[in-house]
Amino acid sequence: MTRSTAAPLLRQVAARLGTAIGVLFAVATLAFLLVRLSGDPVKQLLPPDATAAQEHTLRAQLGLDQPLIAQYGDYLWGLVRFDLGDSLVYGRPVADVIGERLPATLELAFGAMVITLLIAIPAGIYAAMRRGRAGDTSVMTAVLLGQSTPPFWIGILLILVFSVQLGALPASGYGTFAHLVLPAITLAVYSVAVIARLLRSSLIDVLGSDHIRTARAKGLAPGAVVLAHGLRNAALPTITVIGLEFGGLLGGAILTEQVFSWPGIGRLTVQAISDRDFPMVQAAVLFFAAAFVLVNLLVDLSYSLLDPRVRAQR
Amino acid sequence: MELMKGAWRVTHPVMSRRGALRLGGLAVPALALPAVLTGCGTAAGAPSGGELRVAQTEDPSTLDPHKQGDMITMNVLINIFDTLTARDTRGRLAPRLALSWQVRSPTAWRFKLRRGVRFHNGERCDAAAVKFSIERILDPATRSPIVELRYVKSVSVVDEHTVDIHTTQHDPILPDKLSLFGGVIVPPGYIAEVGDAAFARKPVGTGPFRFVSWLRDRELRMRRHPGHFHGTPNVRELVFRPLPNPASSLAALQSGEVDLVTGLTPDAARQLSGYAGVELENHPGTRAAYLNLDTESGPLRDRRVRQALNHAVDVPLLIDAVLDGKAREVPAMVPHGTFGFDASVKPYRRSVRTARRLLAEAGHPDGFTTTLTASNTDAQVAEAISGLLDRAGIRARVELLDPGTYASRLTSDNRRALGPLYLAASSVWTLDGSSMLQSNVRSDRRQSRWTSDRADDLIDAEELSVSPEKRAKAFSELQQLMLDEAPFVSLYQQDIILARTTRAHWTPIINGALAMESAEVSR
Repeated sequence: MTRSTAAPLLRQVAARLGTAIGVLFAVATLAFLLVRLSGDPVKQLLPPDATAAQEHTLRAQLGLDQPLIAQYGDYLWGLVRFDLGDSLVYGRPVADVIGERLPATLELAFGAMVITLLIAIPAGIYAAMRRGRAGDTSVMTAVLLGQSTPPFWIGILLILVFSVQLGALPASGYGTFAHLVLPAITLAVYSVAVIARLLRSSLIDVLGSDHIRTARAKGLAPGAVVLAHGLRNAALPTITVIGLEFGGLLGGAILTEQVFSWPGIGRLTVQAISDRDFPMVQAAVLFFAAAFVLVNLLVDLSYSLLDPRVRAQR
Repeated sequence: MELMKGAWRVTHPVMSRRGALRLGGLAVPALALPAVLTGCGTAAGAPSGGELRVAQTEDPSTLDPHKQGDMITMNVLINIFDTLTARDTRGRLAPRLALSWQVRSPTAWRFKLRRGVRFHNGERCDAAAVKFSIERILDPATRSPIVELRYVKSVSVVDEHTVDIHTTQHDPILPDKLSLFGGVIVPPGYIAEVGDAAFARKPVGTGPFRFVSWLRDRELRMRRHPGHFHGTPNVRELVFRPLPNPASSLAALQSGEVDLVTGLTPDAARQLSGYAGVELENHPGTRAAYLNLDTESGPLRDRRVRQALNHAVDVPLLIDAVLDGKAREVPAMVPHGTFGFDASVKPYRRSVRTARRLLAEAGHPDGFTTTLTASNTDAQVAEAISGLLDRAGIRARVELLDPGTYASRLTSDNRRALGPLYLAASSVWTLDGSSMLQSNVRSDRRQSRWTSDRADDLIDAEELSVSPEKRAKAFSELQQLMLDEAPFVSLYQQDIILARTTRAHWTPIINGALAMESAEVSR
């Protein structure tokens, strides 16, 4: 990359990072306030027959008797030092607890995304090339069916067939490639539909444009036209959605994790919300926001690389 | 104390392979599919002999026994640690680390300890360890959620194998309270050496199993401890796995990935009906449910209205229709199998006609409208109770809350935070009636909505008397008073329901703890 193209890109990255910090600050503040509206963690930590004095003592020990503004100050000061606080339930730094779940979340998200791309891209291209014909209808019906089916249902169906009946794959758990297969497929079903449908419609738009007509007039093979000229132009909206989908996957696939007992961040967050584990919820929300911001930043940057027109505008 | 008997077991016959071919029924909701797809698959990853895998709905919150107060965690830790006292298979309080105990004075209990006990790291488990453990729970710096030891003031070492536990007032059930949470003894030397955090990562106890590894949210593994004072457990390795979804845990059971699924609801247990190689058991438990009535406002101020509710809620019908028969009626709040239960106290005769008559006498010939609040985990029972009340003309709109909100309101300073009528339950794991009544009867207690001088006196008698006979008498009188005054609608105590593969054998204890030292697995 030459100096002339690198400088605007760096400026863009810097501007985006500034925005990202602003977004994360806003998210952190919102998470701090909203989680405190959800209830009192001390009531969750102690059994119902605890006395008011026992509750008072624990509340003071956890620092929850401090004024809201003091708690907020502590929280922000902690964030500046990358200290997300200790979990009220686990009694350990929330960063450690989230860090333990991160590999499982990443593994599932990547696994599901690989399956999604392997199926959605060929399906979208095929459907676009066969527009209006039986092949298009069949593919689109299949993906729509996948999009309309709740993941927990697909998950349990897969467990019944592949684990209970065939004994081929484990029904739950984490650790080996075999454990990943069923949850990743379950999670991919929805994303396949989203991406295949979008790619199909984008390709159909592009295939009707002038430069494609020109390419065809030059006598290029239909496949080459689609792959060489159509796909690159249809890629921008598709990549945006792939980014959003991946951000969503990083945010935890709560139902899928629940069905397959997958030790990911989604399950951890749901549990933390029901436990009113304030520091854990705050950290998880921040993590999701950061994952989304990062993925979107990468998607934006990829535009510049993929489309010279975007580069030119900057 | 009445002892619980009558555990039953059903072994389902092997179903035909044909059932597996019914895959055409894709429209059947997946949760109902287990009934369609019958078990004929081969087990995935069948374990080697001697390993028992137990599924619970969650992972333990921590492995430091003094920093947890939930049964899921206790179920795991009770296998690594020992408590001062314990429950035997018949529900009786039995020696564990303490061999005997006696009241020294109204504010002191003396415990004689077992000799020669060592922690898994070789450290001695003696009076100093007991003192350290109890004082660790009481130390605010521990942030322990264990609340049972609220009357304990201090512990003094009498000699190497004797301790006195001093209380601020007489606590007649202190030995019962030391059978789980507050009674866990930890190694002082090891904790001093490695610190709290490392202790929670690698716990060392005296229990029948040694800690091996914990992959959070995946599995917790322990190995039998040959030096345990009750002998070496039958099971070589014990594994706990968190399986939050009931349908998946049942699938894991069928595919041979776990051997025992505990904490099942009657609904989930019903889904297992008809599976080959899976046995369903229900055993008596003490978790008792009841309706708490606000006797201080609205129509429920009238005793006749409260009695009408008791006549209207047909508990045996509720047990049959909603709980699949896996529960037992509790006549007057104190469950069967706990100290204080009086077999001569009979439950209300269920009669819609009597309920209507009482309502008419109280000035409500057309019934009245009210609200029944419950946690959403009890939605089915709450809806059924609402239906039963409706038959007598009491239109109770069901308000369901998420468990967190429900818990917050239950222990709120506002005694009306859950409305005029709410469904509640207590585990009564101490197996003493006082655990059922301590928060909701005496008029100064947090969940009490009933003012009765007589009841207050009786609570004082059962909570403070040194004599067990006096306590039993107070409980009997209290139960009769509660029947007459009807500040509650006493409902049922739930069975402990478990599903297991045919290779696993284990009988639960009435307090519900998953102490697996007596479990067996066939190879």
